[in-house]
Amino acid sequence: MTERSYLGEFELMILLTVIHLGDEAYGVPISRELERHRGREVSVGSVYAALERLENKGLVASSLGDPTPERGGKAKRYFRITKSGLGQVHETRQVLSKLWQALPELKGERT
Amino acid sequence: MRRTKPPSIATWILRHLTLGNLNDALAGDLLEEFRAGRSSRWYWRQVLQAIAIAFVRDVFSHLDVLFFAALWSMLTPAWLLTIANIELRYHLNERCWQMVWPWSTVCDLGLLLAANLIFIWVGIALYLIPHLWIAGGLQFRRFGRGLFASIPVLIALWAALIVLPKFFLGGQLVEQHSVAPVSMFSINHPIPIAIQQVSPQEQWDVRYGEKVIDPYINPRNAIADLRLATMIVRLPFFFSILCTLWGVTSRLGNRSNRIAE
Repeated sequence: MTERSYLGEFELMILLTVIHLGDEAYGVPISRELERHRGREVSVGSVYAALERLENKGLVASSLGDPTPERGGKAKRYFRITKSGLGQVHETRQVLSKLWQALPELKGERT
Repeated sequence: MRRTKPPSIATWILRHLTLGNLNDALAGDLLEEFRAGRSSRWYWRQVLQAIAIAFVRDVFSHLDVLFFAALWSMLTPAWLLTIANIELRYHLNERCWQMVWPWSTVCDLGLLLAANLIFIWVGIALYLIPHLWIAGGLQFRRFGRGLFASIPVLIALWAALIVLPKFFLGGQLVEQHSVAPVSMFSINHPIPIAIQQVSPQEQWDVRYGEKVIDPYINPRNAIADLRLATMIVRLPFFFSILCTLWGVTSRLGNRSNRIAE
């Protein structure tokens, strides 16, 4: 039986962003999406470090695109979620949904 | 007018980062964002954050190397004690100085380098042989490259350690041959006439300076010595082994990644 590791918050956000972007998931759009949703600057290096961890766990797979002049001749690395990655996202959602049900309301919170 | 060229120093630093096979993609992404209107400050910030992330990641992936280098360098004083005993018994240095110049100097420097490299190479070999074996077969060329990589590192660290303590450690250690036990020069270059006239115990004191390393009764005491001066003695050995093994294991990792791709 393989050992299952839990997804970190940032890793989960990246997986969801990769799913959301589909075929256009590479460093720049992933970082922009994360910035848009989190409302603060994201380090592209940390996005790549997390993607590398996810790739080592087999949750995402990557492939190289063609080099383009606006990127100084550097190729884009596209990421896509694997079957195992999708399974892990679903499982995390189920666990979190159950846990969130027990979340107490904040005092004075307007509904 | 929009700038199209990002800060060249930052780009150079980024190019030499070790984010493995993702480095090119990261560089391309940063350039694309910069050309899309991000500032130089943003670019610098991203590069510095990427360096910090790569460094932390590298440290965590080399914890075994760090631990081994620390462990092996703890044995340094015992090794120096052995070298000193060999020198006292066989007077290798005196034999060197009986030669005609420049051979006397060549022999002297050769002894210095050999005495240090043997200790470092044994340590590197102990670590590398099982690792290379596991990583796909022990090849003499790769193993030899690993050993020779330690020579420039060692020389650079020696040079730094011979010069630096004079500035940073004040007069006390300088008077006592600040790097005395580190360097075979301390064995090779005390005052020869004075040494021939004193007892072996005093010879030790003259050669090493009793404040730097006491004459140990047995090597175990030398290994357990954690005083500042003795820790400084361990530093070049620690960094030589660390830098060499770090470089060799990183190359092994990169090679495995390339094969996997």
